[in-house]
Amino acid sequence: MNELQERLAWRGISRRGFLKYCTMLASLMALPPAAGQAMAEALARARRPAVIWLPFQECTGCLESITRSHTPTIEGLIFDALSLDYSETLMAAAGHQAEQALKRAVEDNAGRFILVIDGSVPTGLNGAYSCIAGRSNLDLLREVAPKAAVVIAMGSCAAFGGIPAARPNPTGAVAISEIVRDKPLVNIPGCPPIPVVMTGVIAHYLTFGSLPELDRLRRPRAFYGETIHDRCYRRPFYDRGLFAKSFDDEGARQGWCLFELGCKGPVTYNACAHVKWNDHTSFPIESGHGCIGCSEPGFWDAGGFYRPLSAPAGPLKLAAGAVAAGAAVGVAVAIANRARKGAARAAHVTATVADLEKADGGER
Amino acid sequence: MSSTALQAHNSTRATRGASLERAVEVLKEVIDAPIASYFSSCVHCGLCAEACLFYTETGEPKYTPIHKLEPLRRVWEREYTLLGRVKKWLGLSKPLTDEELGAWRELVYDSCTMCGRCSLVCPVGNDLVYMIRKLREGMALAGHAPPGVVAATRRTVEIGSPMGIRWPAVAAQIKHVEAETGLKVPIDQAGAEYMLLLSSMEIINFPEYLSAIARIMHVAGKTWTLCSEAFEATNSGIQIGVSDIARVIVARVVNAAERLQVKTVVSPECGHAYFALRWDGPNLMGRPFGFEVKHVLEVLDEFRVQGLIRTEGFEEGRLTFHDPCQIVRRGGVIEPQRHLMQMIARDFVEMDETGKYNWCCGGGGGVSANEEAEGLRLAAFKRKKAQLEACGAQTLVTACANCRIVLEEGLEHYQMALPVVGLTELVAKHLAQDDGRRQDEEG
Repeated sequence: MNELQERLAWRGISRRGFLKYCTMLASLMALPPAAGQAMAEALARARRPAVIWLPFQECTGCLESITRSHTPTIEGLIFDALSLDYSETLMAAAGHQAEQALKRAVEDNAGRFILVIDGSVPTGLNGAYSCIAGRSNLDLLREVAPKAAVVIAMGSCAAFGGIPAARPNPTGAVAISEIVRDKPLVNIPGCPPIPVVMTGVIAHYLTFGSLPELDRLRRPRAFYGETIHDRCYRRPFYDRGLFAKSFDDEGARQGWCLFELGCKGPVTYNACAHVKWNDHTSFPIESGHGCIGCSEPGFWDAGGFYRPLSAPAGPLKLAAGAVAAGAAVGVAVAIANRARKGAARAAHVTATVADLEKADGGER
Repeated sequence: MSSTALQAHNSTRATRGASLERAVEVLKEVIDAPIASYFSSCVHCGLCAEACLFYTETGEPKYTPIHKLEPLRRVWEREYTLLGRVKKWLGLSKPLTDEELGAWRELVYDSCTMCGRCSLVCPVGNDLVYMIRKLREGMALAGHAPPGVVAATRRTVEIGSPMGIRWPAVAAQIKHVEAETGLKVPIDQAGAEYMLLLSSMEIINFPEYLSAIARIMHVAGKTWTLCSEAFEATNSGIQIGVSDIARVIVARVVNAAERLQVKTVVSPECGHAYFALRWDGPNLMGRPFGFEVKHVLEVLDEFRVQGLIRTEGFEEGRLTFHDPCQIVRRGGVIEPQRHLMQMIARDFVEMDETGKYNWCCGGGGGVSANEEAEGLRLAAFKRKKAQLEACGAQTLVTACANCRIVLEEGLEHYQMALPVVGLTELVAKHLAQDDGRRQDEEG
């Protein structure tokens, strides 16, 4: 029995449970059933690639999501079992010992390690807004990223800039992909992302040696291929036009669609509606609150969370005037056209065969 | 001719004639909400070009249907759109000239059979035929209708038929038919169930149609009549595109049918006659009719369904059916001819594009009366030729005398030996003579 399985067994998770989990992972990613077995073997392999986790301008919510959302999570345990060589938040070492560990891990595993980053990179004042051991995140990233095998941008901040990049973006925060341009990079957006997505991506990489299929925003298609709306259990109410108008009306109690309360489900690509959270218990819409679109780029500046998608983003003050002016012009043109057509009709002289040829015999 | 139309005809005759001013004035009058929305909603996709016989067979972009409507579009833009009027005001748009209208004659008359395939395929639902018809109002009053079509119209109004046939010619044919069939052809019989119309071509070229009807009506046990004052079904006013003249022509039939108090007027094997009487007629008259209008194919199919007629034996060889555009695509009569074909043909094949997607013979909408269009018409016939060759038919059946003439000419030009027959005649040819049994039953 290898180390991972020992750890799992010690926490009360059988080999069968672990295999079931891997099969679930494979099916979530639309891989063939045999991939579950392969994933289990890859995850349990004695020597695993090193993982270096760098926290930048972030809130640690992503790490919390993976390690502590509920107890015990297989995701958390797998995560524990990885050769996590550096994580400022989780590691016991501190100070220069921690820095030493990072340096050694990078050198020992150069070109082979998985680099996970949560948080955006502040670029203002030459990166001075976020420093670890006297070095800016920008500096650190530029040094470590070129030596990584793959880069995983964990969470919306790392993937798209996130809350730190919200207007007016005082720190000049940017997404990891703005700095790291020549490495295989996968974005796992979400505030925080769903734990199983991270394990899925890591398991895929360990099993097949490659990243799963990505979309144009470099998100794994298997998890970000459909909108929340398309998979939402409240979708039938939307289709029937049944909407909750406030959070305490009859519609809300009946579990009707939250579109008019600002749900961003229709424009949010994520797996929440079918994978769900907290050991597959529920997700925000199921708890009665609309989706805020936390895994979409720019969600932080997209207008209020409670403003319906159908409401105009910035209504013009002149709108009423423009409508009135347009209507007036339309009515005026219509009246003029009617008069013109009426005059032509009044002037109508019944046509006869004599009118089919020019009177002067010009064309015969 | 109705009395009011006649008065107008006489009182203003001396002061008028075709002119550009009248043309523009009438175009301003006919442009209506549908036309405004059609021009506004055209997305310039060009699908109408691919649907037009004259474009596909010549490859000339000028035959794109929506392009044929350019003069109408310009009048609409100049007179009825805000931008157009501002442009006119600032002198930025040129008025329509007589030369331009003259140059458009080939596009509006020679290369359009009003077959309606463009209207059918238009993705935004623009009825291009409707617009061509309206543009012809202006073209005709500018004196730019083709001389052949003008002459046919003149004969229809002044003599009573586009081919210049008067009642004595019909009476002579009736004598032949009565001698041949031994049946009486009823004339001006009030209260008959059906009033039969004929097209000039049926009177002169295809008298077998009349004898076929006489025998079928006899076997079906129906009362019917011809009307000596309104025997002609064709309407040159529709083809040349002048509503006032079309109204005068259609009124002859409507007034006669209402005077004779017939239940149903039977439109003959002629395409535009059916459209003119059934679909355009009530609009021209401005009121509903006191009788029904049916195409002869619809009537025959009713007889078949009611068991009034039966057939014996089948035609030899492979037969196909050419759908006349105005009856099928524009008129909605699609299934009856197929049921009737099944009655008389053992080997009935459809052409590749058929029913409402059929290709025109190339001679509808006044094109066959327009000598100037002959070359173009024969070029357009290549499509029908290819269709016929592909389906391998040995006999071509149709239900429009005009299609029939045009098809015969085209086949002769391309040296194809394929007989063209009217469907009504074929049904009559195979008619089972069981009228004796019926009389027994009824007696």
